[in-house]
Formats: sequence, structure tokens, C-alpha cells
Amino acid sequence: MKRTYEEINRKIEAEDAVVMTAEEVLGLIESKGIEEATKEVDVVTTGTFGAMCSSGAFLNFGHSEPPIKMQHVSLNGVAAYGGLAAVDAYIGATELRNDEDMSYGGAHVIEELVAGKAIHLKANSYCSDCYPRKDIDTYISLKTINQAYLYNPRNIYQNYGLATNSSEKTLYTYMGKLLPHYGNVTYSSAGQLSPLLNDPQLRTIGIGTRIFLGGGVGYVAWEGTQYKTTTATKNGVPVGAARSLALIGDLRGMSPEFVRALNFQKYGLSLGLGIGVPIPILDEDMMRCVSIRDDQIFAPLLDYAVQSRNRKPIKEISYAELRSGCIELHGNQVKTSSLSSYYKARIVAGQLKKWIEKGDFTLTQPVAAMPKERAQKPLEVMSMEDVV
Amino acid sequence: MAKKKFQLSFTPDLVNEPITYRMVKDYDLQINILRAEVNDVGGKMLIEMQGKPDMIKKAVEYLKASRVEVRELKAYVKKDEDRCTHCGMCISICPVDAMCMDPDTKMVSYLPEKCIACGTCIDACPPGAIAFKI
Repeated sequence: MKRTYEEINRKIEAEDAVVMTAEEVLGLIESKGIEEATKEVDVVTTGTFGAMCSSGAFLNFGHSEPPIKMQHVSLNGVAAYGGLAAVDAYIGATELRNDEDMSYGGAHVIEELVAGKAIHLKANSYCSDCYPRKDIDTYISLKTINQAYLYNPRNIYQNYGLATNSSEKTLYTYMGKLLPHYGNVTYSSAGQLSPLLNDPQLRTIGIGTRIFLGGGVGYVAWEGTQYKTTTATKNGVPVGAARSLALIGDLRGMSPEFVRALNFQKYGLSLGLGIGVPIPILDEDMMRCVSIRDDQIFAPLLDYAVQSRNRKPIKEISYAELRSGCIELHGNQVKTSSLSSYYKARIVAGQLKKWIEKGDFTLTQPVAAMPKERAQKPLEVMSMEDVV
Repeated sequence: MAKKKFQLSFTPDLVNEPITYRMVKDYDLQINILRAEVNDVGGKMLIEMQGKPDMIKKAVEYLKASRVEVRELKAYVKKDEDRCTHCGMCISICPVDAMCMDPDTKMVSYLPEKCIACGTCIDACPPGAIAFKI
């Protein structure tokens, strides 16, 4: 049984497509098998909602009178990068307003922009014949500016390592608060609902793939930074961090429900983003891919007390065990916490399903495929001669 | 036997009064001090009283007569449901399982009867959805 993108899209436009979420389809596969499920279902929707630190937005403010080349830009006191043409800036999610008080930063500015709030813009500059103005102090909102779009260099990791802490003190990490003496374990993946775990070789996801991004529509722009294909696999999916994607999408149309500033105590900020990717069921192989379940997906448990990039995994644990609330470690029961919200991941996958069912969202064939092989290089301190 | 939680606030002149001793001795109560803070403007204490209901009532009357401000606490922290993403970060760091995830809906709820007001969940909540109620 084979299906093309064109056939699927014709059914979507006729509001005839059969769409299920990656969670719902598991029941169908169990009762009817891969072959029958492939015949019945056209599209499977995936979803995730988690901390996507490598996120940010490009903004174009429009020209003032007289014009200014904005060199140093701040939004609600948070520095944005202005080393672009005159009135373009990039606000990064993890930029802090104040290094001492880590409670407000770029992620909050992005969330507030999406919520339609007013943002205080301040900028200054050297002067030139083209741009005579020295400084500007004004307010902007999504209504007043020309362009505002997320461009996130690294989102929706395919899988991610689990965190625990062997030391005697509490650790404050991007994997949350880690209690001493292996006091807890944290994890961050939507597992069986997660986009890239449902198409592990990225057969249907590539440059140009249309997606659900932050409540609006976005696209896959490029491979994500630190994209790698060398992670060992189990049941056909990577055990630990592997592929990631760079995503792009208009802030207009997004919702604060799916774009949420996150503050990791004593670590810093991140942006909580809801992202959903549709998987076209082109054939039985694709149905087999989306049949992956939490008990088949494993991630390595890493000790964050080891402050090195070469942490050796303590053990591998399945998402089914993690979601039970407790895992076994060194003979003890240890409580687990998720950092990504399965509750919201379900809403994302469900929302995308509705869009497709109603004929509002058609599928795109990738313009170009993602790299088949890519290793991740570490950074070594080297001389000028060493690097060329 | 009843169990109730109270916030006590007192002025600096009362700091040396052995009020917990009196509650144990005179009213036969089990007192569990959940939080205590004393500074130059006085003190605040969160306690749990366990004992006979009429004794708890009398102990509260005694405290009020001693000019201690008494407020019964029915829930220590509040969770902003709009802000909460139901991720579950608060669950594993809560020492008394006062945060729990529904296995079907995957929503996180707060169980005030278990909470001991340690405050661990407040700073650990990434979207900043949890705050002290007092």
C-alpha cells in the first residue's frame, strides 16, 4: 500500500483525510495491525512542548524620523542583537535583563510580544549621513512592527539524556533542580508523541516541512545545530540526543499557550514551545515508524555532578518507566520529573490533527532532505596552525 | 484527633514566650513546626497542631489572648492554572508527594492536605506558576 503527498493533500482539501495522533494510532495498530492501519490512516500528528533554549526572534521595527541605525538595542531592558541592517534585531530567548536577577529576559519579551503586550524599545547609535539619529526611546508591539518571526537554530531534539545528581549538594541545571544523593531523575521528551522519534530517519521531514509552531504555522528551515546521526539506536530510535531542527515561523498567529518563558532557578532562561509535525503515512514503513511506544524508547541517565562533556551513562531507562513516576537506581526507588509537558504535547498533536481534518493545513514534501550522516565535533583549544 | 495548620505572627516582645511548650503542656497537642522566622520586627511560624478538637480550639484562644496573631491555613501554596504547563518538574522535588500527576489526563494537581510549606516547588517551577499563599 502506497500513498503520495498529492493524494493525501487532495483528501485533506476534501476534508476527507483520516488523521490520528501518534498516541491514538497505537491502539489502532494494536487491534488491526500495521497493514490495516496503513490502509485506514493518511496522517499521524506528533507534538511536543518543552524547553527550547536555542530560540529567538528576528524583528524589524520600521524606520524612525529622522532615521537611526540601531546599534545597541534593548527590549524591556533585555539586550537584542543589532549588528544587522538599520532596524533589524534578533532577540535571543536566554538573554538576561540582569545577570544578578535571572528572572526576566528574552523569553519573556517573546512571550509578551505574542500576547500582544507593549514592549519598551530603546536603541542608540553612532551617527552617519544615512542615519543621523543618535537614540530612540519608544514602545512597540506586534501590531506596530513590520516583521516578527521566530528563527530557532536548535529545537525538538530527537531524544535527550536524563539527569540525576550523585553529589552532596543540590544542583540547579537546565534539567531542573537535581536533589543530592540521586534524590530525583528528570527527563525531557514527549517520547511516543515526540515528532522526530516518529520519523527517526527523517524520511518525511526536511527543509520546507510545514509544522505547528507555538500555536501558529511554521516551517523547518535547516538542520538544527548539533544535529547528529551517530547516536546508538534501540528499536530503531536513537538512545539519547541525536537529530534536531532549525525552525522558523511568524510570531503573529502564535499563542502564549504554546510560547512560554521558562526560568530554571540559578541556571537561566529558556523558551517553552509547543511544536507539532505531521507525518504522512506514505506506506507501511511509515506506519511502522509511528508505532513506536514509550516502552521501546530509551534514554541514558547522566550524572550532572560530573561537570564534563564526557559523562558516562549510569544506565538506560525507558520512557514508560520514567512516566510511571519512579525508577529503580542502585536498588532504590527514585522519583522522576518531566520537564516537557505531555499534557501540552497531546494538545499540540490534537490541534494539528484538527487543522488537517478541517482542510486548513496541507502537507509539504521536503524541498531538500536532512543530512544522512553527521557527527558532532567538540571544541578544543587549538592554535591558529592547528585549525587550518 | 484533629490536625490543623496555622500561621502565627508575633511582635518582638513575644519572641521569648515559650508558646509551643505551653501548647504541648497545657493542651496536650503535638506541635510540628513547619517553618519559623524571627527577625527584628517579630516572628512568623507555620505550625501543625494535632490533638483533640476542643484542645486545638482552646490553644488558639490562648494564643490570641497572648496577642499572637493566628491564621488557619488550608492551603500553603497556590498554583496559577493559566501559567502551569503541567510539565511535572515539581513532582520529584516535593518531599511529601503534595504534587501529583493524574495518570490519565497528565495534569499536575496540588494536594494542600499533604503540603508542609517547605517552598521547594516554588523556585523549581520553570514557568513560575507556584507561589506562597501567605
